[in-house]
Parts: sequence; structure tokens; C-alpha cells
Amino acid sequence: MVNSESWDWEIANKMVADTSKWKSQFEDVWEPYISSDGEKIASIVKVGEGEFNIAVNNATWGEEPFEKIWYSRFSPDGRLTALITKDQEWTMAVDGKPWEQMYEYIWDTKFSADGKVIAATTKQDGVYAITVDEKTWECPVKLHSIASHVISPDGKTSVAIAQTVATAEADVNAFTKGSWSVVVNGKPWKENYVDVYGLTISDDGKNIAVEYRAAICEYGIVVNETPWNEKFACTWEPVFHPTNSNEITTPVRQGGQWFLATNGRIVWDTGFYSLLYQTYSPDGSKIAATVAPSFAKWTIAVNGQPWSKTFNECLLQPCFSPDSRKVAVIAKDSGNWFLVVDGTVLGEGYDNIWPPVFSPNDNKVICKVEKNGKYAVAVNGKIKGKEYEALWNPVVSPDGTKVMICGVEAGKYYRKVVLLSDL
Amino acid sequence: MKPTIAIREPVVDDALDQAEAKLTPEQIEKVINEVIDKETGGRLWTYVNTCIHCGLCSEACHWFLSNDRDVSFAPVTKIKDTLWVMLKNKGKVDAAFIKRCSQIAHTECNACRRCGMYCPFGIDIAYMILVVRRICAKLEMVPLYLQDTVHSHAATMNQMWVKPDEWIDTLQWQEEEAQGYVPSARLPLEKEGAEIMYSVIGPEPKFLAQLLGNITVIMKVAGCDWTMPATAGWDNSNMAMYSGDFEVMARVERLHHETAQRLKVKKIVMGECGHAFRGAEYDGPTWMGWMKPPIPIVHAIAFYYDLLVSGRIKIAKKVEGPVTSQYPCNVIRNAGLGSKLQYIMNEVCENFVDLIPNDRHAFCCNAGGGTINCGPPWKKIRVQSAKLQSENFKRTGAHTIVTPCHNCHSGVEDIVDKYKLGMHVKFFSELLIEAMEIPEDLQP
Ligand code: SF4
Ligand code: SF4
Repeated sequence: MVNSESWDWEIANKMVADTSKWKSQFEDVWEPYISSDGEKIASIVKVGEGEFNIAVNNATWGEEPFEKIWYSRFSPDGRLTALITKDQEWTMAVDGKPWEQMYEYIWDTKFSADGKVIAATTKQDGVYAITVDEKTWECPVKLHSIASHVISPDGKTSVAIAQTVATAEADVNAFTKGSWSVVVNGKPWKENYVDVYGLTISDDGKNIAVEYRAAICEYGIVVNETPWNEKFACTWEPVFHPTNSNEITTPVRQGGQWFLATNGRIVWDTGFYSLLYQTYSPDGSKIAATVAPSFAKWTIAVNGQPWSKTFNECLLQPCFSPDSRKVAVIAKDSGNWFLVVDGTVLGEGYDNIWPPVFSPNDNKVICKVEKNGKYAVAVNGKIKGKEYEALWNPVVSPDGTKVMICGVEAGKYYRKVVLLSDL
Repeated sequence: MKPTIAIREPVVDDALDQAEAKLTPEQIEKVINEVIDKETGGRLWTYVNTCIHCGLCSEACHWFLSNDRDVSFAPVTKIKDTLWVMLKNKGKVDAAFIKRCSQIAHTECNACRRCGMYCPFGIDIAYMILVVRRICAKLEMVPLYLQDTVHSHAATMNQMWVKPDEWIDTLQWQEEEAQGYVPSARLPLEKEGAEIMYSVIGPEPKFLAQLLGNITVIMKVAGCDWTMPATAGWDNSNMAMYSGDFEVMARVERLHHETAQRLKVKKIVMGECGHAFRGAEYDGPTWMGWMKPPIPIVHAIAFYYDLLVSGRIKIAKKVEGPVTSQYPCNVIRNAGLGSKLQYIMNEVCENFVDLIPNDRHAFCCNAGGGTINCGPPWKKIRVQSAKLQSENFKRTGAHTIVTPCHNCHSGVEDIVDKYKLGMHVKFFSELLIEAMEIPEDLQP
């Protein structure tokens, strides 16, 4: 989690940067990103033929332009990273300063929770690895590809799904023997698998789990190299219990229906047409999941009990209130997106809704919504305040009394802090 | 019920041979009955019990018509020789039989659904063929190259073993290529909140990267707010749908739609591919429990049609001489985009010479339904069985055949080659790049 205590929570409406000026200053301006604390806004800009930089507030990021820049992302600690090329080689640059080592390719930047650790996938001399703060894994086996990677919240463990065995074209036998595995801080698990999916790491960084394909039609879960005894027709991504990382839960398919299983045992006795996005409450006492009790009837089930209200298109991932009592979700029905809390639709339908947040004290649900090409903040599903050309997800202050709203109006970027009660 | 006499040249397919050697009668019986009992229902029984064995569907099938009306290629025969036997024997069949089932279902039917239009009861033979494929897939009886493609989907979430860095690198390279035509063109990666996510099929970055450059130019000229993902989920194709591995199919489709949801786009525009549309619009969502795609899908034909009708792209100079078009089954017969295809052809070509039969009644290119993905061992019979469509092409006298589908494109290239038609095979985007007006302010 980003520590937002130290941010400026004074009630204010601050114009941080006049981004409309960028258009006349630079040949091309890409879509902007902001830092977690809202104090900085940045866009990749073209400054000449094959020359790019990043405009950050009223300055530029790199001393010298780069041949190419992409994937500019703020680390949670406020540093601005991007992937850049120099002499046709790639590297990470942080606050405009490139890492010393250059790579054939680098991508998929990830951060530790506090933003101090920066990791990315790299390729050098045809070998794939994870590079963490400029230090590349030394792996005893050659990694032929990396499908995905995660980093623990404390930044101490980085894990990837990697191809550990080379397979020739159309060599289906080698493939079914297993050519993918999990690599933890550069050390591969002993087993290779047909396929590996859904890589996850517990919040305490101690446990790692994945879905794996045991045979063509058999799927299971492996936790720290030990597979569950049970196999299923299909699985989706597992998640760890938030406070007890020995518990892991995942949707499993059996007899043409989806069930929820914890540590290999089916824990919800009802089967569903579909079951996705199982989510633990913060105290770990409940699980909510997106389910379809029957075809095209979507809802949320909490501890296996579906809400009575259903939606005909889809539901995204459920989200618990900080006190674990309420559940909010974004639902799509007949072409519109709705905010739903505990089975009740709040407010009207929108063209888009971003992930909701609960205020800690009074369980108000706040989210960014889109209507007719404009963005606004909605509280309990109703638009409050003005419309923006661009808007970021509102953030509630740690004491739960204020909200930070960052958006672009008439080409100018504003960071506002308002009282939640005024919204 | 006597088995049909089917005379075929022997074909060596290692995967089928190995599966035949491995399978036990118990495994076969279990899987057949599991699939029939748990994964089918009234639809299958209605079809099986309604069929009066009249054979009218034969007249619809290019396999039957291209092979001197050999009854072993007739649609109803393909069911008689597979599913009917499984049902009659309650799953008690041997491995050699399952191998023949795979040969029929994977390599001798395109699931093109033309026969269903000619059956007096509208029986969907293609649906039953997919049930047979499902049984075969669960028994690991899938032609080698098709299975390899499915493994690629399963491991990389794309059809062509494209690695994540190769994907992004190719997009960045094609952005530069596009800038040769239109210097301000951009291929925006990972732009959350764009209106459109553009998705393609694996062969584009692998073999036909120029198509990514083409779309970058078209999007710029049309002034579209678009993006492409820099993560897996960019590939909209799905050969697992055609092998019968529905779990892999669902994982691929789920990721494609969730990538669009993550990027918060309003719609997915997909490149010129037919089966990919079927997977993303129907089969994937149905398996997932979605009534329709959670983010609407627009096929390239409908997209280009909208751009032309709205004047967002204008034609500067029509393509000269006679040009014809293949009608990809999955977006024409099965999704009704025929008149939009014809509109584009007339807008872009000086002389559009239509196929006979056309639109919903047009014949399959004989590459669709996963048959071309069964690879080199099965190519000879596939191209031989496209003889009828080769004659239809020849009759148009066209110099170019447009194929708004990747499978059609490869299949029609094989037809042109084998029957020495001397025609070019192109995608719409290639024609548009030739014919489209680049406004002065966008020119180099
Ligand atoms: S190829 Fe087409 S017409 Fe022939 S049997 Fe298959 S679905 Fe029917
Ligand atoms: S036309 Fe219809 S009823 Fe006649 S044999 Fe074919 S599927 Fe059966």
C-alpha cells in the first residue's frame, strides 16, 4: 500500500500544470499519467525527429531526449519511470536517468508496494530474466520466455512464469512433458508443467501459488512446489487469504459447473455456470465472487449465497468495504454500467465506471464515471461536482474525511482536496 | 448401419498415430458418454432424431461437390460415420474409429454451416461435428499441427508462439513503418480509456506485420482514438475452439475480453479474420456465461464500412480492373456482413465482379474451421476439395481476390497456386492503403 499519510491533505484546489501549453511546445503529446499523490502529471512528448522526452509539470524529464520512450509509469514513491532506447538498445530510466545496463528488450515494469523496488522483464543475448533495481537474475537454467511476473509487496521476492525447456516446432510430446515452470528470485521450481497460469504471491511474500495443467484436460493448483491432490476440469487464478497465507482459494470446474475450493476442498456447495474473481474481505472472514447461477444472469455470491438481483451482461471484480461488511461491484446490464452495493443498484447507468472505493467511516462508495465522453466523480452512483476532460480515480484520505480529486479541465491539470461531506 | 466406403490416400499424422496406440476402450467409452451426457442436450438429440437421411445437405457441401459427388464426403455421412456410431454403441468404439472420427471432423469439414441452410429441417451438421471434435480433443486425438497451435494458445495466449517482447517490438517497428506514409501516425500501446482496442490474430506479428502498419495509417487518417495491448490478450484467434479444447478456448477468450475491460475501451475492433470473430462473439462468451461479449466486438468489415459510409476515410483512386472477394463463412453466413462487404468492394474497386453463389450462399474457402491448421499432412486433400471454389474464382476473371479473413487468405493462396489461377490475394486493408486519400496535412 502507498502510504498516503504524508501527502498534502489540506483543503485546496491547486492548478499543478497547464498541460494545454504542451501542445504548442512539443510536436506530439501522448496521454498523461499522474503520480499517486497527484502532485505530478506527465506525458511522453515528441521533441524532434526520433527524439522523445517526457513533460512533467513544467519541466522535462530527461536531460537529453531519447530515441524512443514508452510505458511511462510513476512508482508509488513518486519517481517517474519509463522504458527508453539509446543506440537501439533498451533500458529503464528513472526520473530521466537510464540504468547503466542496456538490454535487447525490457518490458512490464512492476513496483513494490512502497515503490522503492522497481522490476521488469528483460532479454539479453536471447536469455530472459527479471531485473530488479538493475540486478538481473542469475538463473541456473536458460529461460526461453517469460509469460508474466509478480513482485511481493515488500519487494524482496520476484517470481515469474517462465519457459524452462526449449521445444522444437510442433514437438507436442516435449510440450506435454512440461516446458514451463515458476522461477523465484532466479531459482526455478524443480518440476516443469504443461502450462502455468495465475501466478500469485501472498501479502507476506512467503507463499507462491499458480494454476497448472497436469494433463491436456486436467488442471490443479501448486503452492510452493506442492500440488493439491485434487485435479479439476479447469481452474481460474487462486488467491491467498489476506491474513493466513496458508489458505488459498480458487474457482474449480467439475461436472460442467464451477465451484469454489479452498486448499483443494470444495467450500461452496452450490455450483455455478460461471464463477470468477473470488475476493477475501479485509478481515478474511468472507469471500465474495462474481457468479452466474445460470446463463447470462450475473451477480455476486458472498460466502456462497448469491444476491437475488442479477445482471444480463457481466460483472467485474467485487470489492469489500474496509470493515468487511459491504460489497460493491460494477455491473453491466443492457449496455450500461452500474454501481451495485449489496445487491442494490445505486444511481444511474454510465458509459464506464472505474473501480469503486469505500470511505472508511460511513461506507460511501466513490468512483470515477464516464458519461457522453466526460468524466466525473460519483458518490453512491450519483455524479457530484463538475465534469472533467480527464480524471483519475479519486483517493480517500487515511482518516476518511477527505477526497483527492485529480483531473484536467480546459487543458489545465488540477489537484483538489475536498471534504467528503461536501461531495 | 454399415460404415461408408471412404477411399483416401494414406496420410501420416504422428499425433493421431500416437493417440491411436495409447487409447484404451475404457477411456474412449468414458469420454464419449461424459461429453454426450454432460455437454450436450436437447439440441443434439433433436438433430439426431429429426434427420431423415435424405442427403439433401450433400448438394451444399464443397467437399462432396469437389470430389465427384463422393458420398463419403457428404455432410450427413460425416455424422453417420462418427456420432451415430458412438450413440448406437453407447461409446463402445475402438481407437481406430476415434482416429477416423478426427480425420472426418478435423480435416474433412470446415464447420462452415452451409449444409444447414440446405437441410429441410435446418439441422446444424457443423454443431455435431464440433461435438465429435470435443470428444476427440478430450481423447488427445487431434492432428499434430492443430494440436501444436492449441498448445501455443495455451502457453502464450496467442496462436503463433509469439513471445511478449516480440509482440511489442513488432508493434513499435510497424509504427515506424506507418510513419513512412503518415509521419504523425502512432500505434498507441496500453492507452486506457481509448474508444477502440484493436486486436489481431497471431500470424499478423509473425508473418504479416505490414498489416499492423496498415491499420496504424488507417486509424490515423480516420482520426480514431484507439489502442493495442502490450500484454497477452492481444490475439483474438482461437484454434482451441476448433480442436475441441474448450477450456483453453475459454481461457483465451476470457483474457481477450478482460484485456479490453482493463483498458476501459468502448469496443474491440478486430482485424480481418472470420473464425476469430466467431470465437470472440459467440463461442467464447457462451462458454463464459456472457449473453454477448462484455465489450462489443466489431469485425474489420463492419469497421471499414462505417469509416467509408461516414466519410472518415475517402477513396482517392479506385483499384482498377476486375476484383472479386471471398465471403468468410463466420462473418457472412453466420453474422450477416455480406452487404457491407459488397459495399466496401464497390467503393474501393472500379469493377467488383461478384462470386456466384455469393453472400450467405457462397462456398467456404476450405481452409476454415481449423482445417488449414491441421497442417502439411492434410493439405493435399484440402486443396483438392476446394476445386469447386477454384472454378468459381476463375469464372470471375478477377486479377485479385479479396479475403477479409486470415484462414481464407491462406486457403485462397493455396487454391490460386494449385489451380494456377494467376490471381493476387489481398486483405481489405491492403486495398484501402492503395486506394485511400491521405489528407494533405497528414502527408510526409
Ligand atoms: S464443410 Fe460445411 S457444408 Fe460441408 S459438412 Fe462441413 S459444415 Fe457442412
Ligand atoms: S438434409 Fe438434413 S435431414 Fe437430410 S440428411 Fe442432411 S441433415 Fe439429414
